[in-house]
Amino acid sequence: MSLKGKAAIIGIGEVPSGKFPERACIVSAVQSSVSAIKDAGIKREEIDTIIPTGTVYNAQYNSEMLTGRLVEELGLTGTVKTNMQVFSGGSSSSTMLKVAAGLLETGAAECILCVHSEKLASGVSGQQGIDLFSMAGVSKEWEVPYGQHYSGVAALAMQRYKYETGTTDEELAAVCVSNRKWAELNPHAMFRKPLTIEEVLSSKILSTPLHAKQSNMLADGGAAFIVTTPERAKKYTDKPVYLLGSGSKVSHFVYSQEPDLTRFAYADAAKDAFDEAGLSPEDIDVMEIYDSYPVYQLIGFEETGFCKRGEGGRLFLEGQTWPGAKYPVTTNGGMLSQGHTGAGGGVAMLVEAARQLMGKAEDRQVKDAHFAACTSTGGTYFDSYVTVLGTTIPN
Amino acid sequence: MTFQEKPLPETNTWSEPYWEAAREEKLLLQKCSDCGKHIFYPRLLCPACFSDNIDWVEASGKGNIYTYTVVTNNAPSIFLEDMPYVIAIVRLEEGVQMLTNIVDCDHEKLSCDMPVEVTYRKLNEDFTLPVFKPV
Repeated sequence: MSLKGKAAIIGIGEVPSGKFPERACIVSAVQSSVSAIKDAGIKREEIDTIIPTGTVYNAQYNSEMLTGRLVEELGLTGTVKTNMQVFSGGSSSSTMLKVAAGLLETGAAECILCVHSEKLASGVSGQQGIDLFSMAGVSKEWEVPYGQHYSGVAALAMQRYKYETGTTDEELAAVCVSNRKWAELNPHAMFRKPLTIEEVLSSKILSTPLHAKQSNMLADGGAAFIVTTPERAKKYTDKPVYLLGSGSKVSHFVYSQEPDLTRFAYADAAKDAFDEAGLSPEDIDVMEIYDSYPVYQLIGFEETGFCKRGEGGRLFLEGQTWPGAKYPVTTNGGMLSQGHTGAGGGVAMLVEAARQLMGKAEDRQVKDAHFAACTSTGGTYFDSYVTVLGTTIPN
Repeated sequence: MTFQEKPLPETNTWSEPYWEAAREEKLLLQKCSDCGKHIFYPRLLCPACFSDNIDWVEASGKGNIYTYTVVTNNAPSIFLEDMPYVIAIVRLEEGVQMLTNIVDCDHEKLSCDMPVEVTYRKLNEDFTLPVFKPV
């Protein structure tokens, strides 16, 4: 059975990403939810299910969210039937949407609020952030004792990817520049100042060949989206954003066990997603490709089928991924520029895809955007997700 | 959380033979007695054929660098004093991959697919880590 056309995003909300010590994490969750409810034009009592995805900066806050804090804050005790967490790290956007679509298709839910909130910039110090992520999804028996951490994780993929494809440092830096071009147009982005390849390559090396400005920055943030059945969606909007295809595969837990650090499982995921949607990469108008580090964005872009392997770097270097160009890629600026809000990095991209398809992306609106593809991945890139969305349901 | 001391492996009961051997500077791998495949890291079941008929064998200790990185900044706090240090994924002759460190090497001369062999770094009386050096 397919989930094609069985769920529609009808409302989105988001708070600016960045360092906001005065903004409590629950404020990000509530404000994002309220914006999404208003955007959808529904009454809040219509929400019967709330899915708050995981927050990692504080275990207490996370446990409060998975036991109903947001339900109470939104005044929905007594009407919401289910509050539960769906969490797979950076791919939580895709897993939340997949679970939501399944609940809607079976009739187990009719209107679902998916929410993310995080406080990784001001809730922990920079070094605490590095230490926290040296263990998130990293094996304490087989990897932590060797000094593994996220710059190291990214650098290992980058080194091998450069070796196998011949992609240059300039091309990898060009990914950061492209994302920044989009972030310059995004008022919710953490970094909006223009960036050059020279600036990226003159920043210090963290772990060879990875430069500091090729690393995401941890951020505070929040985002939400409301998913309902296609029948209900039509009551509220003439532009629902339909789920058309969702393909995925888990390819490792321990990073060293990944069979191919230059590919992961995106090709299989993309095939399933596009087959389900009845579309091909050429039909896609907006590509929200999960970054966190430039090498993963290139791999995601190539393996999902938007260009041949090893050619992505050149397209980014030539500016073909910039605003107004042929390939609108990661149009909110990604985690490299909008900021890395934990699981929210992927949620922000899914929300951005919906925003573009709804025609609400203002200065960075991609013209005539009907179909979008989002990629996402969690932990140390343990899974590969491709999600296809559209304003119509193709045959 | 922040480490106060170098993190020791948090072991599982079924991996004890691996760590006991490492203490004596031997590299052990699991090998499935049914399908014949080598297994790393130690598992409860053979990931290839689901068998629990698993033995331990000594590895050759030889392999190639699949990929590597020299950590020069932003390491986890307890590893800051070790910078620059090398993290690598090594592909052993037996067909398994493991995360490790490359030691006793010129960082400038490292490359992907370079041949390496196992050596050992003692953490304390209980734990010795298998690491690798260029052949």
